[in-house]
Amino acid sequence: MTGTGRIVVDGQPIDYEPGDSIALAVLRAGQHPARGGTLCLAGDCGNCVAQVDGTAWIRTCQTACRPGTLVQRHPALGAPPLQPVAQPDVTRPPAARSVAVRRIAVDLVVIGAGDSGRAAAASARTAGRDVLVLDASDDAEVVAIYGGPAVIVRSSTGMLHVHAHEIVVATGAAELQPVCPGNRLAGLLTARAAERLHAAGVDLGVAVAVGTPPSGVPCTNLAGRLVRFEGVDRVSAVVMAGGAGEAGDEAGGAAAGEAVVEVTTPCQTVILGLGRAPRDLLARMSADLPVRVVGPAAESFALPPAPTAGIVCPCAGVGVDDLEGVWERGFQELELVKRASLAGTGTCQGSVCLPHVRAWVAARTGTVPEPFTARPASRQITLAEAAADVHLDAFKRTPLHDEHLALGGQLDRFAGWWRPWTYGDHVAEYWAVREAVSIGDVSTLGKLIVSGPDVVEFLERLYPNRVADLRPGRSRYALLLNERGHLIDDGMIVREAETRFVLTFTSGGAANAEMWVRDWIETWGLRVHVLDRTMSLAAINVTGPLAAELLARAGLDAPLRFLDHHHADVAGVPCHVMRLSFTGEASFELHHPVDRSVELWRSLLDLGHDLGIRPHGLRALFGLRLEKGHVIVGMDSELDSTPHRLGMDWAVRMDKPEFVGRSALARTALLPDQRRLVGLTMPGPAPTEGSPIWSDGTIVGHVSSSFSSPLLGQAVMLGWQKRAPFPDEVTIDDRTAIVTAPPFYDPEGLRARA
Amino acid sequence: MLALDTIRGVRIVADPAGIESIVVAVGDVVLRLAPDDVFVLIDGPLESVDVDAIIVEESGFVGCWLTPAEVEARLVPHIEWPLPANRPVLAQGLIAGVPAKLWLATDRALLLCARPYAHDLAERLR
Repeated sequence: MTGTGRIVVDGQPIDYEPGDSIALAVLRAGQHPARGGTLCLAGDCGNCVAQVDGTAWIRTCQTACRPGTLVQRHPALGAPPLQPVAQPDVTRPPAARSVAVRRIAVDLVVIGAGDSGRAAAASARTAGRDVLVLDASDDAEVVAIYGGPAVIVRSSTGMLHVHAHEIVVATGAAELQPVCPGNRLAGLLTARAAERLHAAGVDLGVAVAVGTPPSGVPCTNLAGRLVRFEGVDRVSAVVMAGGAGEAGDEAGGAAAGEAVVEVTTPCQTVILGLGRAPRDLLARMSADLPVRVVGPAAESFALPPAPTAGIVCPCAGVGVDDLEGVWERGFQELELVKRASLAGTGTCQGSVCLPHVRAWVAARTGTVPEPFTARPASRQITLAEAAADVHLDAFKRTPLHDEHLALGGQLDRFAGWWRPWTYGDHVAEYWAVREAVSIGDVSTLGKLIVSGPDVVEFLERLYPNRVADLRPGRSRYALLLNERGHLIDDGMIVREAETRFVLTFTSGGAANAEMWVRDWIETWGLRVHVLDRTMSLAAINVTGPLAAELLARAGLDAPLRFLDHHHADVAGVPCHVMRLSFTGEASFELHHPVDRSVELWRSLLDLGHDLGIRPHGLRALFGLRLEKGHVIVGMDSELDSTPHRLGMDWAVRMDKPEFVGRSALARTALLPDQRRLVGLTMPGPAPTEGSPIWSDGTIVGHVSSSFSSPLLGQAVMLGWQKRAPFPDEVTIDDRTAIVTAPPFYDPEGLRARA
Repeated sequence: MLALDTIRGVRIVADPAGIESIVVAVGDVVLRLAPDDVFVLIDGPLESVDVDAIIVEESGFVGCWLTPAEVEARLVPHIEWPLPANRPVLAQGLIAGVPAKLWLATDRALLLCARPYAHDLAERLR
């Protein structure tokens, strides 16, 4: 309970009394807390929202006055004003400060401490259940219900997240508001609001009542059907029809075609007792959750008469004419009417308009539609409240993260990892690979160990190429296809022993690949163990014509043939060394314990100093592999890319009896060739990746990868042609490009095998 | 800021019988990550009756030991799921939005995460 004091409304001080809400204090001063509209003073409608102490969309009827509270009303419609862009704190509003979160778990949450809520809580406690009762009047305002279920509560001390087995919604009923011309004027009150104001000593002036009159409030009760309110800004008269001398004919608008006698009654306040509707906003956002609605919130109150004129949804400013407009355009279901007209999408989410819109639809269809859904949050909450204790996805760091930074690496996020894009000069990094030796951090690659008596059978079924003939100590590149024959990942099959393999995958596809592997093992019921080592093993790629010399200096004397692998110490670090190549040069991947990676990285840089060693980032790597025509899954491939479309039939053995995707490949092989990935070259700088490929004035595809090759002196690209017949010459960036079969560099692969 | 150090041990993936056959000393911390996957915090070899078991030295986790009071004060505010009541127990889920594991004993607890997440977890548990 607050004492007396003053708040500041639109720059003018207003006195308040002990216990006043902002809305009550403003009304006590003879003003409207917004600009107009019926006031419920129960938090149901949005007719009293204003900006309070810098936070917009505050229901002033639910907000206590405190000394110096700053209130701003929207200059026109009662909506809060936008923040002036010149304010220095526009990107960091006051509410951006951290909001505390508490979490508790209970068996049952009861929302609402009225009669039905208390009864539900008492009954549950008697049954021995752990019950938590939440009510806005107790500084525990429920603003959302999510799956789990989880109840999100706002309080003066922060947010409360309650995890419960069951929720009881006992939020009672709200009063109906009028829909007729003039219903945006000030001076309109629901009956309960009038009772509250009268009890608080607020002078209502000359008051009249429509419908069920308030209790104990001096007013004249009018008979008949409500037609309209009259006045400028504030109501000065109410017009009733068809009921002279009769009180209690519930209002809502004149029936179409009715011969009416209108009676105008001057007044300063109109008190509206038009009936009630379930306060079901939280219930409407809880479909399919263990939520029970009790008391008036679960009652089927009579709908009001279908409105014929006036604003239906004051939050979104939607009138009856708007409803008619969307109906005529074919949106003839309640949910469609909502979406097309926006009725019910404002701050109260239909608490005011839903009964009227349902009645309006029912009048046209003859069937009362079910209420439309609501969505969290039920109240405007600040971004700080919504984001309280919510974390962004964590991006993984390789053990060499700080090494990259120390070397001037520019890191960016790729496939869930922080990775060096370049160390400042990607062309120098490129030349180090082509002419000397370079190291790259490939710790992000997926790495699975698979082992077991059925592992060969499993891999034969999983991959489209042969596995059984792969000898221990050898490795093989492989595609990973789905049942539709579409490429989902690629990597190496590395045989360590008769019943043990290491499988590698792309950085971005590793997590899915692991799930894919586990799913198929389970589906086929094979005896295969899987251990994901992606985050336990780091990997460094040593690449370039001097790579073998560098590794010899590091103690790796035994020569490895292309696609050989073995375990050996490199610079004193135990490594699984794999001879392969993505860059087109002789390359050795060193897989090693993640906690030894910095030691190995630094040793290699030291040992290779006089060999011209420098690390390379992704920018150089992408160019190097593009010169070799190697695809990057997800960059050069699309969701429906088959090996054939990618020009990788060589990686598929259709003479195998079965593998994932084989049936689809057999079928699609008979279809006309509609698209293909091709290599492209043209003079000049590389076009932007994604650039359209033109032929005869028509876009026939796009560039998926491009690179200005320092060695070849031209742009090399991979791109999709999606219109047959496939031209040999196309236009990209208004330049002529030639379709050229990759690889563009060392097509015999002599350097990779050197 | 929590100091997360490498937690070393031996990782074994084997069939359930192979897992159950592992012999450890009294007091060794054994984390059953999955029905077929166990992480034993020891410095030494382990064996399984499963001849195809995958047995590797594991240094991919980082973590720190905490008292129950520290768990309550430093971790619980960042955990959206209810902690299990029994002890000892291994809980796995998001802590401060980071995939993590929490081994809870009556007198101590071990917070673990994969090393690539160490920075984010430590930052968020400041």
